[in-house]
Amino acid sequence: MEEKLTKEEVLHVADLARISLTEEEIEKYRVELKKLLNDVEKINDVKGYDDDILIACWEENTTLRKDEPGEMLNPKEVIGNAPRHSGNYIEVPVVISDGEGA
Amino acid sequence: MKYLNKDIKEINKLLKSKKIKPIDLVEEAFENIEKNKDLNAYITLNKEEAIKQAKSLEDKEVDNLLFGLPIAVKDNIVTKDLRTTCASHILDNFIPIYNATVVEKIKAKNMIIIGKTNMDEFAMGSSSRTSYFGAPKNPWNPKKISGGSSGGSATTIAARDVLFALGSDTGGSIRQPASYTGIVGMKPTYGRISRFGLVAFASSLDQIGPMTKNVYENALLLNALVGKDEKDLTSVRREEEDFTRFIGKDIKGMKIAVPNYFMSDIVSSEIIDKVKEIIKLLEKKGATVDYVDVKYLENAVTLYQIIAMGEASSNLARFDGIRYGHSYENPKNIEDVYLKTRAEGFGEEVKRRIMVGSYLLSGENAKVYYNKALSIRDDMRKEFKNVFKKYDLMIGPTTTTTAYNLTDPMDDPRKSFMDDVLVIPVNMAGLPGLNLPIGFDKNNMPIGMQVIGDSFEEAKIYHLASFLEKELNLELNPFGGEEDE
Repeated sequence: MEEKLTKEEVLHVADLARISLTEEEIEKYRVELKKLLNDVEKINDVKGYDDDILIACWEENTTLRKDEPGEMLNPKEVIGNAPRHSGNYIEVPVVISDGEGA
Repeated sequence: MKYLNKDIKEINKLLKSKKIKPIDLVEEAFENIEKNKDLNAYITLNKEEAIKQAKSLEDKEVDNLLFGLPIAVKDNIVTKDLRTTCASHILDNFIPIYNATVVEKIKAKNMIIIGKTNMDEFAMGSSSRTSYFGAPKNPWNPKKISGGSSGGSATTIAARDVLFALGSDTGGSIRQPASYTGIVGMKPTYGRISRFGLVAFASSLDQIGPMTKNVYENALLLNALVGKDEKDLTSVRREEEDFTRFIGKDIKGMKIAVPNYFMSDIVSSEIIDKVKEIIKLLEKKGATVDYVDVKYLENAVTLYQIIAMGEASSNLARFDGIRYGHSYENPKNIEDVYLKTRAEGFGEEVKRRIMVGSYLLSGENAKVYYNKALSIRDDMRKEFKNVFKKYDLMIGPTTTTTAYNLTDPMDDPRKSFMDDVLVIPVNMAGLPGLNLPIGFDKNNMPIGMQVIGDSFEEAKIYHLASFLEKELNLELNPFGGEEDE
């Protein structure tokens, strides 16, 4: 028998990733995600390493730049890239409605 | 008359003496691309603008070797006013409002952007088959993949459309397609080149690099790309250097290491034999070559899966259907915009990786997986550093097989990771690595060798690679150079 995640497990990770899935996709990902999750479990077999972690390859270089205003993007162009916009505002569906949250 | 197949110094002379103009090169490039359009190397062409730019260069002084030369840019590098899709439906109408730093840099050399190349969606994949726009085809055999994720850039260079292309490499995405298509591809040291404007996949691994038909042109393009950038905190300030400076020099006394894992039975025997021939050649020419053990190499794919998927899930959270790109038409509420835009916009491979990545970073899992991966990654980097205390360079195969069929099954989600088992360790350690074509398999598909250096030792890599390139003197034009004048 092929190893599978439960439907609930797939829906949980899809929710974390903010992706809606069809029934067909859920079935497919039950198998595929299980394979990948089995793969990453292999990290628990690795032994002998020390506790230092590598966050940046060159920490000596990661200095912050001075907080000075520089060249700016044109707000009109920035907003213009939004699929729904009006003037200098981005339009979104109602976020807070009466009584119930969205 | 053809010019793009001439030596770059010869082209430069012709430009300088006004015997040819940049527009001649641009027109030739578009003729080539048209002739090879079935290879599907490009997502968007920049024809009108390229012609305009070429004409505007006519009165300018030809002040550098890259002047007026066409260049292809991978479609995950943003180009102002030129569509940048990342080969994804979610960005298929996205027009950036600024240029990536590398784009500013090539423009400063008066290079001409000819188009945006095909790739795996968001650079996630190893065959460019996850592209929303269909996969590019290998010029050596159009039934085969060009590799990925920089498959379009590799294809257009191998097909000799243009001399220069930019790729990006998170887990081998420059070197692996370079190997499959018989070209030279360099992933520079992490931090060498600004990532500003490279659409982020896994930020601690991503690096932009040059893809060319030969070593010299590769080093020349790298010269133009490097440098500290205020807009990328992880870019590194270094003294200026000429990456071509050791090209043509002898290699006597050079010390080279070959990791045993790279020559193990995970690699096809045809490729192993070819690399062994190279080792013999190097020894004959006065280099010493030793086999070495590098701990954790066999864990690199696992580390990569955790780090790359984790970082991807976080980076791709920005595609929300609100600020740019595709958006779901009839949302009921804000949650609906996110869920359905992403469901419609992302392809399967991307969805899979984001879901697993989100899981790996959620709550306590971050400690169990991601932090542990960073810890082992640190040890792996130390292992590499130890080898480079004794050796100048490391070599080994770039890939475990040559390019496979476009129709091969895509049903195993692990396949795209395993294809990159030999190229991923270099990203883990932040080191520079280059693919050099070293021969062909029995089906006349290119075999590539990786040359890996210590941090910031790109010039040394070019030194060895150029030496071998000259010694081997391979015919690397898939069309046999029959169109040479």
